[in-house]
Amino acid sequence: MSQIHPKYLRILAIAPSTRGFGFAVLEEEETLVDWGVKSVEGDKNTRCLAKLKEIIAHYGPDVMVLQDPSRKGSRCSARIRTLTRRMIALGSSHKVSVKLFSRDEVRQTYFTGGAGTKHALAEILAKRFPAELGFRLPPKRRPWMSEDYRMAIFDAVALALAGQRSIE
Amino acid sequence: MPSTQLPNYLRSNRKCLGLSQDEVAFLLGAQSGAKVSRYERFVREPSLATALAYEAIFQKPASELFGGLYQKMEQKVVARAKALTYRTDYQKPTRENTQKLQALTDIAASQSKKALNLS
Repeated sequence: MSQIHPKYLRILAIAPSTRGFGFAVLEEEETLVDWGVKSVEGDKNTRCLAKLKEIIAHYGPDVMVLQDPSRKGSRCSARIRTLTRRMIALGSSHKVSVKLFSRDEVRQTYFTGGAGTKHALAEILAKRFPAELGFRLPPKRRPWMSEDYRMAIFDAVALALAGQRSIE
Repeated sequence: MPSTQLPNYLRSNRKCLGLSQDEVAFLLGAQSGAKVSRYERFVREPSLATALAYEAIFQKPASELFGGLYQKMEQKVVARAKALTYRTDYQKPTRENTQKLQALTDIAASQSKKALNLS
C-alpha cells in the first residue's frame, strides 16, 4: 500500500561554493520542494557536512546529485574536492544513491552544443521556475565583480534537473 | 525505491511568496515564527484552523499543501472502507445497504484511480 506514488522520486542536488553550498530538492519535473544556500564559517567542510546531514534526514532523498570534481576540466579547489568526496561518502552511508555530473554534461542538458554562460543558464532556470527563482536571479556579473552567492542555488537546480533527466 | 510525498509543502509555498516565517506567523495569528518553523520541519502538525488559514494564505487546497499527511489519512480511510465493505457484505441486501456498498466501493477505488494516473 505504501508504494502507490512511484512518481514522487526526490532528488537532492548540492553545489558546493566558497561560502558553503547551494542546494535544491526536486520532486517530479516541475516541483521544486526546497532550495537555498547554506552558509558556514570556521571549519567549512565539517559544518557543510553537518548541514547536509540535516537536509538528508529532513527530506529523505532517493538520489543525490553532485558535480564531479575529478573530471577533466574541473576547476574546483582542493577543499571542494575533499568536501565532495566526503559528501558522496555521507550520501552512501545514508543509503542515498549518488550521481555525479561533469560541468559539460550539465551544460549539454540546456544548450545545443553545450556552450553557454553561467548567467544564461541561470536565466533559463529562472524562466522555468519563475515563482521560485525569478526574484533570486542575480544581476549579470561584470568582470570586476565576484560571483553572487545566489548562483549556487542555480547551479544546484541545474544539477537536479540534469539528474532527473538522466533517470528518465 | 519510490518515495511517498512529504508531510507538507509549506516551506516551498512560503518561499515562492517571498514571505518570512515571522510574516506567515503574523498571518496565522501565531506569536512568532517558531511555530511556523516547527510545521515546516514536520515536528508539529497544525490544527484544522491553522491548516485552513494556510489554505487561505497560499491559495491552494489543504490536501495539496499537506500532501503526505493527506496521503497517509487517505490510505487509512481506504483500509477502513474495505473492512466496512466486508462487514456490510454479510448484512441483508436492503436498498440502504446497496447504496452504502456503492459509496464504500467508490472510496476504495478512488485511491487506485489516483495511483493509475500517477504511474
